[in-house]
Amino acid sequence: MRKLRNLKALLLVFVAAIALEATAVVQFYYSQKGLREEAELRAEGELEATRYEIMDIIDQAEAAVRNSVWIAQWCLDNPDSLHRVCQRIVADNPVVAGSTIALVPGYRKDKPLFSPYAFKDTDGAIKVLSLATEEYDYPSQEWFKKPLELGEGYWSEPYVDEGGGEMLMTTYSLPLRDAKGTSAAVITADISLEWLKELVGRMNVYPNAFCTVSSREGHVMVSPPEERDPKSLVFNTSIARTGWAISLVIPESDIFGVLRRVGTIVGILQLIGLLIIILMLQSFIRGERRYRNLDKQRERIAGELQIATGIQMSMVPKTFPPFPERDDLDMAATIVPAKEVGGDLYDFFIRNEKLFFCVGDVSGKGVPAALVMAVTRTTFRNLSAREDSPGRIVRAMNDNLSAMNESDMFVTFFCGVLDLTNGHLRYCNAGHNPPLVLTDAMRDLPVEPNLPLGVLPGMEFKEQEMPFCFDDAIFLYTDGLTEAENAVHEQFGEDRMRDALHGRKSAQDHIDKVKGAVAAFVGDAPQSDDLTILFIHYVPSAHRLVLSNDIGQIPRLTAFVEEAVKMSKLPANAQGSLNLALEEAVTNVMLYAYPEGTEGSVTIDVGSTSRTLSFTITDSGKPFDPTAREEVDINAGVDERPIGGLGIHLIRQIMDDVRYERRGDKNVLILTKNY
Amino acid sequence: MEVKIERGNAEVTAFLIGRLDTPASLEVAPKINSLADDAGGTVVLDCKELDYISSSGLRLFLTVRKAAAAKGGRVIVRGMNPDIRNVFMMTGFLNLFEIQ
Repeated sequence: MRKLRNLKALLLVFVAAIALEATAVVQFYYSQKGLREEAELRAEGELEATRYEIMDIIDQAEAAVRNSVWIAQWCLDNPDSLHRVCQRIVADNPVVAGSTIALVPGYRKDKPLFSPYAFKDTDGAIKVLSLATEEYDYPSQEWFKKPLELGEGYWSEPYVDEGGGEMLMTTYSLPLRDAKGTSAAVITADISLEWLKELVGRMNVYPNAFCTVSSREGHVMVSPPEERDPKSLVFNTSIARTGWAISLVIPESDIFGVLRRVGTIVGILQLIGLLIIILMLQSFIRGERRYRNLDKQRERIAGELQIATGIQMSMVPKTFPPFPERDDLDMAATIVPAKEVGGDLYDFFIRNEKLFFCVGDVSGKGVPAALVMAVTRTTFRNLSAREDSPGRIVRAMNDNLSAMNESDMFVTFFCGVLDLTNGHLRYCNAGHNPPLVLTDAMRDLPVEPNLPLGVLPGMEFKEQEMPFCFDDAIFLYTDGLTEAENAVHEQFGEDRMRDALHGRKSAQDHIDKVKGAVAAFVGDAPQSDDLTILFIHYVPSAHRLVLSNDIGQIPRLTAFVEEAVKMSKLPANAQGSLNLALEEAVTNVMLYAYPEGTEGSVTIDVGSTSRTLSFTITDSGKPFDPTAREEVDINAGVDERPIGGLGIHLIRQIMDDVRYERRGDKNVLILTKNY
Repeated sequence: MEVKIERGNAEVTAFLIGRLDTPASLEVAPKINSLADDAGGTVVLDCKELDYISSSGLRLFLTVRKAAAAKGGRVIVRGMNPDIRNVFMMTGFLNLFEIQ
């Protein structure tokens, strides 16, 4: 999941990057195209303009020569006057730096070589000299030969004029024919090319653009600068008449420099943007992950709370009926925690025919309350394992809890000990709400206003008592019941609770009804307090009697047997003897089964069939089989008569069957009387 | 359970009233055992108002009877109801006492 999300994020960044880049590339391409087109236009325009300017000068030079042709022809007959023609050409045409009319050798016998040359010297004065020298040998010069060969005007290759100021020059030469059409001379005009450099130098369309001009034969007339951009756009044009090639070279950096700078800036901005997107995504993903981690944490805590609830619930007895083998107790209990774990508790267990039970409510809720609840429950179990008095149990619990109470939590607590053999209830209340006693009527159990547990060590807790009669019930609860609130913050209250408790039902039915009433009352309103109920219904059975090992309890046995005989089909006069047999058997257990001074119990169950009434006497004392005892001799004389042994003898005499069994750690004696 | 002892010239009479079960026997044992002092003469155990007796009660009777045997006195058990007579019968006590 997490990988997938990262992948998605990555994909998103990738797509964004592609989109941005594509836009940039398209934009760049079109901008570049536009710039290139503009450069081309500008370059071509400049080139054309420059070409015209050059042409203009060339035209001037050519015109200067052509315009002098007629007069030169006219002067051919008088060659010495030709120097004046040359002078005129130079004088009348500013662009012409020098001019000559060179006779074709042999045209005139008198002047085999004749070439007057007029030129402007550095002062601007026009001077004349002759080119017909042996060193120069003008007939072999290009400017002379070429036009004669071609029969038309010819522009020479540029050259450096050694005599005339080291200037770069070129010469236009035109063949000159006489009236008969014979090639007679070559008439020329020299022009300086210094202006050319200046002219093309003016083509500063771009700051680093430059122009080169080369001649027909490839001589460079205007050379490129030494430092030049290797990537450049080159625009060419040429001047047909002179054979010059003009190139305008524009470095790409001049054309696209701005675009490239802008592109770089845009690229950087895009990168920054992408980086920001990535960072945002990352932080988003991290946040997402943190959120999911929180979710996981929450799940884990919920899971742990569930486990804690399980542990807490396993601390309180929650199998109902809790004592299925007993029919004198009908009990049920419930805890409904408001949060996952709560601070309420109940507990109960039976030791030596005494039912120890308690209900408590820890101040506060949730895990801290649950921990205190666990400690309270453990302390209760530990102390009541050896202590019978609820007052002393509560006092010791208070000392324990106060000593370790650093969190200032306290526990309201009710502890009761019900003697199941006689229904005697002793109890001690530590600040808890009084339980309800359900006898014929319903009333609060009178309780002392003792402090809750954990407030002050060394407190005295007053113990109270009450006889608990057959069919009496006690209803213990925490204030989570009466203070359960509905959506409009009304409390369930004691009246509703009492109403729900009316009538006689099983303990579980009572609890279900009360829980149902609360649930119906509160509806969906969330509950802020735990709700705990413990219901104990005491129904000492006519069919079972449990006595402690106290001879003083024999009258209860007598009453029990009386009842049993009444309910059986035995004649009334059988009662006395059955009483006697049972008393003998039970007395025997009371006096001898348990070590002297220790508590123990004896249980008498009565059962009947259509033909028999039988009593089962059970105790947990040391193994003892009364039937194994030797028969007493009832015919012995006074002196031989032993004091003991009469009991079992009477039992055998009265009952029709006497059987002993050792069941586990229990002695079981079964006495049966037939009808 | 109540035990009333009347000492006459010729005999000592103990009136046993109520149920002589185990707890009662423990309770009245000192009183009945004191009859051993009179065992040289005639001791009457009046059972007209005795409702019930258990082996513990029988033991008290036997103690008195043994003392009388030792001192050569008589022990008369008087006025037993059928239940008690039945117990005496079952235990062979009818043979140990003079029954009236």
